[in-house]
Amino acid sequence: MGGGLHGRARSVAVVGLQAVTVTIEAHVGGGLPCVTVIGSSGPTAREAVHRVRTALSAAGLLPGGRKVLLSLAPAEVPKAGARFDLGMAMAVLAAVGTVPADALDDTALLGELALDAAVRPVPGVLPAVGGLAGAGVRRVLIADGNAAEAALVDGVEIVPVADLAEAVAVVRGEQPARALPAAEPVAAGGGAPDLADVRGQAEARRALEIAAAGGHHLLLVGPPGCGKSMLARRLPAILPPLTHAQAMELATIRSVAGRFAAGQSAALDRVPPFQAPHHGVSAPALLGGGSGVAKPGSASLAHRGVLFLDELFEWSRSVLEGLREPMEEGVIRVARSKATVTYPARFQLVCAANPCPCGGGDACGCSDDVIWGYQAKLSGPLADRLDLAPTVAPLTADDLLTAEPGECSTAVAARVTGARAAAAERWGEGAVNAEASAQRLRAVTRPEALRFLAGAVERGELTGRGYDRVLRVARTCADLEGAEVVGRSHALEAHAHRLALRTASSPP
Amino acid sequence: MSPPEWAAALSSGADPALVAWVVRLAAADWAHPDRIRRVVAARLDAGQPTDAGAVLEDLEGCGAGPLPPPAAAGRLAAGLVRLGARVSVVGQPGYPHRLAAAWPELGAPLWLFVRSATGRLPSGTAAVAVVGTRQPTLEGLETARALARILAARGVVVVSGMARGIDQAAHAGALDADGPTVGVLGTGLDVDYPHRDGPLRDAVAAAGGLVTEYRLGTPPRAPNFLWRNRIIAGLADATVVVEGRARSGALQTARLAAAQGREVLAVPGSLHQPASRAPLDLIRDGARPLTHLDEILEVLDGLPVMPGEPDDAPVADHGLAPVADHGLAPVAADVLRLLGAVPATPDRLAAASGHPIGAVLGAVADLTVRGLAAATPRGFVAVPSNGRSGQPPCL
Repeated sequence: MGGGLHGRARSVAVVGLQAVTVTIEAHVGGGLPCVTVIGSSGPTAREAVHRVRTALSAAGLLPGGRKVLLSLAPAEVPKAGARFDLGMAMAVLAAVGTVPADALDDTALLGELALDAAVRPVPGVLPAVGGLAGAGVRRVLIADGNAAEAALVDGVEIVPVADLAEAVAVVRGEQPARALPAAEPVAAGGGAPDLADVRGQAEARRALEIAAAGGHHLLLVGPPGCGKSMLARRLPAILPPLTHAQAMELATIRSVAGRFAAGQSAALDRVPPFQAPHHGVSAPALLGGGSGVAKPGSASLAHRGVLFLDELFEWSRSVLEGLREPMEEGVIRVARSKATVTYPARFQLVCAANPCPCGGGDACGCSDDVIWGYQAKLSGPLADRLDLAPTVAPLTADDLLTAEPGECSTAVAARVTGARAAAAERWGEGAVNAEASAQRLRAVTRPEALRFLAGAVERGELTGRGYDRVLRVARTCADLEGAEVVGRSHALEAHAHRLALRTASSPP
Repeated sequence: MSPPEWAAALSSGADPALVAWVVRLAAADWAHPDRIRRVVAARLDAGQPTDAGAVLEDLEGCGAGPLPPPAAAGRLAAGLVRLGARVSVVGQPGYPHRLAAAWPELGAPLWLFVRSATGRLPSGTAAVAVVGTRQPTLEGLETARALARILAARGVVVVSGMARGIDQAAHAGALDADGPTVGVLGTGLDVDYPHRDGPLRDAVAAAGGLVTEYRLGTPPRAPNFLWRNRIIAGLADATVVVEGRARSGALQTARLAAAQGREVLAVPGSLHQPASRAPLDLIRDGARPLTHLDEILEVLDGLPVMPGEPDDAPVADHGLAPVADHGLAPVAADVLRLLGAVPATPDRLAAASGHPIGAVLGAVADLTVRGLAAATPRGFVAVPSNGRSGQPPCL
């Protein structure tokens, strides 16, 4: 291709949470009129050709009767979706001189083109724009619907464009960039359900508070309708709000998963997330998956928040096994044909289970042996990772009439914050008791507490791993009380919170 | 001599002259129930009439001590007026008719001090005494409360002794159902016993009434509570013993009620459960076992008016006497006392003991480790027999 016109524009691909800057080159020359895309893959590229050509035509900008070649580099990087449409159209227009070539030097473009040349939002904008900012890009042209999300990234000018014609006008300097839609401030914890709605359930509330304070995983045992998920949904409100960095991390995951709703306010959501996948979902939906490049699953969307698995006994074992990696390492690696990606998944697990095969409740006639057997199904790797197992009893009509309204989330959250501060002072910023090393825990535990736990191991009430878990919960109980050292009373309470698990994993 | 002005104000229907006489005698230290019983017995033996006036005359003339000056009677009367209390005299209008049936042979009191909204005790469609130990298990408390609720919802007066434990659960159950309930005290109407239970006494006074034969200021003394029990039994058509230990006051009084021909029911419990000893002994001796809560209503349908008998007699004023000393922390001791054969969840243990849930969980773990309690899928139960030898007899 000796002669012809060259144009160049920049866009960005996202693989997992990683952004890769993509250079789009356009060559417009003689030959049989057609548009060809190389450096991309599969049907994505073929579809893009039709969209770009039709949109250019709709905008009256199609260079007629020419052969157009578009190349997306680097060619190795997997490129899915329609995010390059706007960049491809602009590269063509730069080649034919509709826009000045140097006007695109520090600009990137991101958006899907509609057949009428309107610009549509795309997923994964937050990591994409973040990557562009890191690569020195100063200006990003983007769909209106993505503007608020993109504006969360500092150090780069976000220019919302409604259609191709507006994009051209902006690039040619004929029209000033429109102001971004004003950010609506998000009320702190707004809309999150409050613990005050929960009447009674002292044991479960206490366990929830300990779980929040120490980052412990939790199993709620109770018959259907007794309020297990009601309790679980109230955990985020008593967890400390996310820091800016954590909130950005979560927003990035949501963005890649396409869960960053269009038009959502530009303020960061600081409330820890809550995810409650149904027990029928596949392993990819829970852990991340999809063809080509994997998307984040519920476990990653619950990053820094709560993953709630209702009806624990209904989940397939193989799906649950997949949770071992994130629970140990805080990340999930998913390999697919085009890439292996890593998504963060450091969640707090809350499980719920019926106490017995019939579901439990007042009419339950199951014998103790049957219940032991049912709960023994929980034995195995997951049981040893759950620290607290309160029983949730159905409220009687009497309880509903006489029970005092529960303490509100704000009061509980204040104690949680205090306990977390004590833990952070001991283990380092951001560290929680649930992840503390057993070695260092023993150093801050009274001998009589250790003797009590050692006795429980000897009697077969605790496994070795359970011993460490009880020690960590005891540490949290002590922190909630403001105690420097873990005493016997803390160890006793921690042991009591696990009694249901003990019986579940070792029926007498 | 016309009676003082306060006599009419204090009367709930009785002749003011008799009321004035009663108040003056009640102000005397020596006019206690036992002395009155002996006076009545003497008149019965001699075949003489036993109307209130005659008995008062004998009592005054028995030379047990000097009569107090009129000013002392005035002070007592003023105190009663301040409380809004009334005086009823046996044989006079306003005296509870079920109790009157026990006069004179069965020891109904000559006079009563009543504190209620109406000045009289509610008579209801029927009256049932629900009584038991001051050291109940959680299930005992729940049984008493549920029974009282069922009864009160039918307009049946729930009679009990205001003591902590089963008695108070019974009163609370009646209050739950907005039904009538009568608390029979073993102290004066103005004495804070059990300590700090004033709000419950006020609620019972408003929903039915408080009644005692003791003058204002009478402190809690063990024999007074035993005497008090005959009033509880006398006010009720039937008596239900919910829980009580061997040699419990509930056991003695229930047997006395049976001897008088009033129906006695007992709530069967586990034979391992010390708190079920008294009802089980009663069932062995022929008391009717209550096998279902609603059965109490069937029993009432088939019964004429009969007196029954009640609960433990309080001695000291601390509501929770120490249980077996296993070197337990106070919370663990309280929790152990509540545990029975029916599994109890930590939530309920915390609500019943008033301790924070964290401490209760620690306590059940402690008890489990010590072999005094055991975990079941539905909650915690007491481990019976061995190791619980330290249970003190409950009076």
